[in-house]
Amino acid sequence: MTRTPARLAVFGITAAALLFPLVNQNDADIDSAANALAFAALALGLNIVVGFAGLLDLGYAAFFAIGAYAYGVASSWQLQPAWSGFWEPFQWLDLVIRFHTAGGDVVHFQVSFWLMLPIAAAIAAFFGVLFGAPTLRLKGDYLAIVTLGFGEIVPIVARNIPSVTNGAMGLNGVAAPRFFGFDFGIDATPYYYVGVAIVAFLILTSQRLKDSRIGRAWMAIREDEVAATAMGVDRVRYKLLAFAIGAAFAGATGTFYVAKLQTATPEMFMFPVSVMILVMVVFGGIGSVWGVVVGALILQILQSWFLEDLSEWLHALGRFVGVDWLQHVELASSIELIFGLILVLMMLYRREGLIPAARRTRTLSLDEQTVQPARSGFTNLAARDDGSRLPLLEIVDLAVRFGGLVALQSVELSVPAHSVVAVIGPNGSGKSTLFNAVTGLVPTDQGTIRFAGEEIGRLRPHQVLDRGIARTFQNIRLFPNLSVLENVMVGMHARLVTGPVGAVLRLPATRGEEAAARERALEILSLFGNRLLPRAEHPAASLSYANRRRTEIARALAAQPKLLMLDEPTAGMNPAETLELADQIGSLNRYGLTVLLIEHKLDVVAMLADKVVVLDHGEKIAEGPPAAVRRDEEVIRAYLGRSAVFA
Amino acid sequence: MLELCPILEFRGVDTHYGDLHVLKSVDYRIDVGEIVCLLGGNASGKSTTMKAIMGSVRPTAGDILYQGASLAGVGTAERVRRGIAPVLEARRLFPRMTVYENLEMGAYTRHRGPEFEEDLARVFTLFPRVEERLRQIAGTLSGGEQQMVAIGRALMARPRLLCMDEPSMGLSPAYVEQVFDIIRTINRQGVTIFMVEQNANMALSIADRAYVLQTGQVVLSGRAAELRENELIRHAYLGELKVQ
Amino acid sequence: MSDYGVLLQQVINGLSLGAMYALLALGFTLVYGILELINFAHFNVFMVSSFVGMWALELLGISGQGQVLTGLALAGTLLFAFAVTMLAGGVLGVAIERLSLRPLRGVPGTAAMITTIGVSYILFNVILLTVGAGSENYPNPLPVVRWQFGEVIIELKTLLIWGVAIALMMALQLFVNRTRLGKAMRATAQDPEAARMMGVDVDRVVVTAFFLGSALAGAAALIFGLYYNYTSFIIGYTAGLRAFTAAVLGGIGSIPGAMVGGVLIGLIETLGGQLIAVRWTDVIIFSILILVLVFVPTGLFGRAAPTKS
Repeated sequence: MTRTPARLAVFGITAAALLFPLVNQNDADIDSAANALAFAALALGLNIVVGFAGLLDLGYAAFFAIGAYAYGVASSWQLQPAWSGFWEPFQWLDLVIRFHTAGGDVVHFQVSFWLMLPIAAAIAAFFGVLFGAPTLRLKGDYLAIVTLGFGEIVPIVARNIPSVTNGAMGLNGVAAPRFFGFDFGIDATPYYYVGVAIVAFLILTSQRLKDSRIGRAWMAIREDEVAATAMGVDRVRYKLLAFAIGAAFAGATGTFYVAKLQTATPEMFMFPVSVMILVMVVFGGIGSVWGVVVGALILQILQSWFLEDLSEWLHALGRFVGVDWLQHVELASSIELIFGLILVLMMLYRREGLIPAARRTRTLSLDEQTVQPARSGFTNLAARDDGSRLPLLEIVDLAVRFGGLVALQSVELSVPAHSVVAVIGPNGSGKSTLFNAVTGLVPTDQGTIRFAGEEIGRLRPHQVLDRGIARTFQNIRLFPNLSVLENVMVGMHARLVTGPVGAVLRLPATRGEEAAARERALEILSLFGNRLLPRAEHPAASLSYANRRRTEIARALAAQPKLLMLDEPTAGMNPAETLELADQIGSLNRYGLTVLLIEHKLDVVAMLADKVVVLDHGEKIAEGPPAAVRRDEEVIRAYLGRSAVFA
Repeated sequence: MLELCPILEFRGVDTHYGDLHVLKSVDYRIDVGEIVCLLGGNASGKSTTMKAIMGSVRPTAGDILYQGASLAGVGTAERVRRGIAPVLEARRLFPRMTVYENLEMGAYTRHRGPEFEEDLARVFTLFPRVEERLRQIAGTLSGGEQQMVAIGRALMARPRLLCMDEPSMGLSPAYVEQVFDIIRTINRQGVTIFMVEQNANMALSIADRAYVLQTGQVVLSGRAAELRENELIRHAYLGELKVQ
Repeated sequence: MSDYGVLLQQVINGLSLGAMYALLALGFTLVYGILELINFAHFNVFMVSSFVGMWALELLGISGQGQVLTGLALAGTLLFAFAVTMLAGGVLGVAIERLSLRPLRGVPGTAAMITTIGVSYILFNVILLTVGAGSENYPNPLPVVRWQFGEVIIELKTLLIWGVAIALMMALQLFVNRTRLGKAMRATAQDPEAARMMGVDVDRVVVTAFFLGSALAGAAALIFGLYYNYTSFIIGYTAGLRAFTAAVLGGIGSIPGAMVGGVLIGLIETLGGQLIAVRWTDVIIFSILILVLVFVPTGLFGRAAPTKS
């Protein structure tokens, strides 16, 4: 959407939300609306975990429970430990009061609702990290099961520790919030407005996170975790961050919900609730902030108003036609059946949801569509070769084994700074394994890898990127649903510093950094002339094969590497495109970039490489300038195969 | 047996992978009783050729004919039934099934009867080592032994055309010799062989004819004896753009 | 009864439960082995099948535990009930595959699993809305016969469960190891691409896996009803959790694993309930599930670890 209609829509919705209780004074309706807002908030939180980061959490209601019980316990008559001097400072802070009973003086907890909102969020976030940590290495469906497990354990524990939670009977005497002396009481209206404020805040937070470095990192993980780490995203930290923030949303909402209901029972937080929130997210649009809000509101309205009205109507119809069961049907209780149907139908027919997260893209002009391959390389890069030829990358005696299979053995390789080194060899010789070992995607069994003097063999992929090595992949690993520009900006992840707080607050420093990053990304795209720039907002999956290759290289360049590692960059390109790209790689090298290249087109290698290294069956069999290597008997035999023993 | 039409023909076959043009107007012709090799370096389109024959990849243009009839719309199972059997790249035996069960799977499309026992006997004659290891779990065999089983498995389909995808890959020289020896024996027994190989020297030593692929196009073809002397093969393999 | 006697009795009970969980876990693991799909709907297929079994027995005029049959009449009745229930389960499973899962074959990620959650919900709620939330008294023609061995009591129904479960498991083993289609199933689970190259019709294999797996769930469902004398809309969830943990514990995708896992979970449930407390058994089972998935994802017999490549 362009900005003005979007802004008007938001303004309209806000006005409607604020005016609603004044227009419809029915307390039950306002209460339903407040409930609907609570679930909208939950949907927003789950959207961060499932929609942004791609982690299917089937036990999300656990965090809802934790927030609810945190407030419930901190502000009710549930816990009544005996009074002692320990509690004095808390009384002074107005968090507890000393209460006289027949059995002696006890502590009554009365932490303020407003204070509990962030505290419950923090407690829930802690559990988010706790429950998320075991799932980090698991693939999608197993992660879901483990989170389901945790999601079930929490309400069962709540049911079975009645001293704290009053078990299945529910917390009693949860205090209503007070706002500057005004007691919330039982009227739904003040709760409704708090709900509006919470949802508005969470929408803003979600939106800001999504359009920031954090959101991009999450979506990169969702699209292709391996490529994300190779581009500098610390997947452990960001996955835990997604869990924590998602949980925090639920924790705060739990506090709100319990304060309104003034009780909490374990039944409110079981698996069906987690599923319901998931249905809202799936229905509304996975990854779409407004989508999940709309989805949640629609489903809640369906449940609390529409189905009841429809049932009434069916009753009347039943009376009219004299059919008995029509007169007794209660659609509201079939809401879960409807949820099941929605899940199945959405997955089969509209996986992107009601309001898809992806954006539409404009069609390109004819001019923008046709590009002639040029052979001038990158003309707008100034040469920055400082003449030094010290080894930038040094590999000594490297061995990599996969179980019984030896992929690399005794490999020695030295890449002088500002040079181009090519690695060639027949299929299965270990070239990609070499790249994976250097970039930390594969563990090494022996040997050292030194980059700019530092040993990097034990570093994780995002740390390797941080040191200054960026790579592309043989079978192109872009983030398919992210735009070309977003793909490139993920490459910058390690060079930017905005954290979640900065992203949400959007201080001038953050805005400045984001704008500069965007500008730099566009600059890099413009290196490829008209090929990528017009498509900057297009999803990467929609690009041609050759353009996807170029985008991957642009993404690697965005990381400001000292060493660029390209794995078969010209594969799949026709001769003209191949030579164009070869020229571009040459300019990058003259600009100062050191290049390590896997390439099997020897003409390209001859054009670019200062040195060629030949691998066969995991070992280095030759090294030298391209011309010499080409004529080397060993090399030829490696490619063409050992001679027959029999004629 | 006098058969005038080739057992397998590719006529102007194009294949695509998304928008990537893999095979470009490729023509092959394999006559009954021949051993024909498909050679080429990395990313030349050799594997795709194999997949197109077996039916996992469909041509976007052109036609593939088997015994004169087009294979368009013919599923993999049916192709096996008509007499095309694959020996897959890297063997791909069913790792947790026994050698015997793997052989059985080779005959999946055929009825169990006396023919099955005949074929089994034939496999044992060719591969005595396989008979020794019948009850062993396939995943525990060495690479060379697995290759024997893989070929045996394909033979259990009583194929007219045996398609082999890189039979020498990952094998020690001793095993490569054995495998190629067996290929010649099978061929003498009447099976046509179409073999994709990276190891050009070895392949040309047993082939009758060969095609050389480079980036999806046939750049050289002819009798094996002639190709062996041809300098241009080296250029094609080393990925030089001169050969177009 | 001495402590030892109580424990031994719980072991007997655990083995009976375990047999039932094993049958349920088997169905689940069969599908996972081929499709790598966690089929949530499986457990409510189990639940629906138990109702079908109930209706089948009622059709024969049996209601409640009052009418007891013996000899040939009993055998015939049971045979009929098992046949109907297993067939119903199988057909339901195949229908689910055809309608909701086949269109999603090849879609990456968790879309298919989410769909099975939806189907599971649909089954659950259809029963809830039509039959209601109450517990249904299960028609049971089995005579109540008990044998005492020292401190331990073994009932006829216990022997029945073990008998049926062992018979079915042996039949399944025979099927996957001796029949052409069964071997095709194993081959497809190990390498679907290579299996296709051998001429295997992968679609047919998938349908077979669903049919067999769901039929086993049906058998487990009838056993549940005959053992506990009740059924209700909720049993899919409670038994399902245990069976699922059993499959994971045994090694997901492994047939012997599901059998062993089932028995282990049955024992853990009864002994855990006895030694700790019944109300904590859910937490214990969930914890086992989480611990296995996180620390020993291959389970006892499995080989493929469910980690990202």
